Amino acid sequence: MTVGTWLALAGVAVLALIVAAEVRSRAKASAAGRRFLRYPAAVPGIFVLAFVVAVAVAAPLVAPLDPYAIPHVEGVANLPPSLHRLLGTDPSGRDVYSRLVYGARISLGIGAIAMVLAVTLGAAVGVVAGYFRHRVDAVLMRLVDLGLAMPRMFLLLMIVALWGQISLANLVLLIGFTGWFATSRVVRAEVLSLREREFIAAARALGTRPARVVWRHVLPNAAAPIIVSAALGIGHVMLLEASLSFVGIGVPSPQPSWGNMIADGAPVLATAPWTSTFPGLAIAVVVMALNAVGDALRDALDPRKESA
Amino acid sequence: MLAWLVRRLAASIATVLAVVTLTFFLIHLAHGTPCGPSDGPPVPPEVCAGLRRQFGLDQPLIVQYGRYLRALLHGEFGVSFAQHRPVSAAFRDAMPNTLVLAGAALLVDFAVGLALGVYQAARARRFGDIALGNAALFLNSMPTFWLGLVLMLVFGLWLHWLPVGGMNDPARCPRVDTLDCLADLLRHLVLPALTLGLVGAAGTARYQRAATLDVIGQDYVRTARAKGLRERRVWLHHILRNALLPFITLVGLAFPFLLTGAVLVEWVFAWPGMGWLSVNAVLSRDYPMVTAAALVASVMVALGNLLADVLYVVADPRIGVRGEASSVG
Repeated sequence: MTVGTWLALAGVAVLALIVAAEVRSRAKASAAGRRFLRYPAAVPGIFVLAFVVAVAVAAPLVAPLDPYAIPHVEGVANLPPSLHRLLGTDPSGRDVYSRLVYGARISLGIGAIAMVLAVTLGAAVGVVAGYFRHRVDAVLMRLVDLGLAMPRMFLLLMIVALWGQISLANLVLLIGFTGWFATSRVVRAEVLSLREREFIAAARALGTRPARVVWRHVLPNAAAPIIVSAALGIGHVMLLEASLSFVGIGVPSPQPSWGNMIADGAPVLATAPWTSTFPGLAIAVVVMALNAVGDALRDALDPRKESA
Repeated sequence: MLAWLVRRLAASIATVLAVVTLTFFLIHLAHGTPCGPSDGPPVPPEVCAGLRRQFGLDQPLIVQYGRYLRALLHGEFGVSFAQHRPVSAAFRDAMPNTLVLAGAALLVDFAVGLALGVYQAARARRFGDIALGNAALFLNSMPTFWLGLVLMLVFGLWLHWLPVGGMNDPARCPRVDTLDCLADLLRHLVLPALTLGLVGAAGTARYQRAATLDVIGQDYVRTARAKGLRERRVWLHHILRNALLPFITLVGLAFPFLLTGAVLVEWVFAWPGMGWLSVNAVLSRDYPMVTAAALVASVMVALGNLLADVLYVVADPRIGVRGEASSVG
């Protein structure tokens, strides 16, 4: 760790504090915002997320060493944490802290992209099924039943077994395409109740085309469950990615992801526990922040379903 | 009630059938031709044709599908590439191990989850409730397998209290035939069951807290207190009796969670169950084994959901009427 990386880390922390403070002061201005703030873990959650996103973006500044380079020197593997190597080194002699920083890009990136894919698909299917009902609804919902019937982990294991090692891009697609079922159910339920409301009937009576009714009137009012399932969805995807990477079928090895870092350290757990423990801790903290913000958003956007 | 049950059962069977169909098409998509692009040397076309005939791949798709269904109905899942024996034989060895682990985990899940949930409800919005709630949230946010590694590190590698892997000591107890060996099995069971059970307990506690709070707010609880009953009696006879009832529906819903969670916990602790078998099969690209495991898992999930629905009606007769009414619409 050099002075520069410490400064960069401090800068990132300050930035995250500013973001959290800004969110807090803006939220105070509205009723929904105040409901958001009533959730005690909401603002700390925002801070954690802002911090990790900033770290991922500023990775080259925050990480002191190359996360990929395997040093061809004896005696640098499995070093314990020290001031020079903040979180120690892994069995290949790579700096765990630097890999953790770069791993944030992969783990958060996969979470975000796969979630956007899943939520978009889920929202689209939910809106179409709920708005057009009848046969369209029946067909789509049977598809959702099927998707929910097979445990996702086993579905993914099966696909990997059938097609072999999948690339990072395909992994993201796969996680996204197998993750929209629950969202579509929630959105459909919301749309089913929305379409009976007067303002939708009014829009239709004016002769507005269905696509426009959906886009301008139904979707904005169904935003709450979509946003909440997005926030909770990222955490879920991150855990799934970690699981797949841990057994060696997720993110391929030289790339640092928090899941495959845990796998790297597992064989030397007894002598060098830092390689496995820190990435796991990072996942737990980030997923907890996502869950906290997701729960707070649910309270804020949908007071009817307030958690007890 | 009976009509509802029949309809519900039919829905479960339809779901399982749909999963089987999906699996069939996925296999067909990936391996419909025995001589697709491969890493090995090119296969002569006449050998390909022979292979296609031998595996019945020259038949129409619908015939292949029919055969596949018939084999499944006879419990034939094909032959494992890696183990050179029928998949069903491997399952017969692994399934009891998974059930032992899942059963023990369920015990931890409910014992810890229900106790904490009720405790949290009794202390709602006070320090104990908030602290436990956050602890549960944290537990729910960590990768299950990582919790397993941490427990293994602390209790197995540092304190040396418990064994870190496998389900028995192969030198001393190759099979469970003495009391001593049963104790050995239980010692091996503690860490994986705790890992899986604690993560489940975090969810169960959350559910039980909400259920208990719901009952505490009911009029009959206020009535019980108003007529001067002791707090102890109010809790035992009026609150807990009603608040603990819904949890039996969780038994069914815990099934999918335990199954999916068990995959990685079994992997971490080298517990030779269905999950460990599946991951090993994936790593050796033994797809007959993996697809069969996925099918079995889906059937278990369907059974779990069915069980949850039935228990729901059994637990609360009021729901039976509502359930029937809603299933008509």
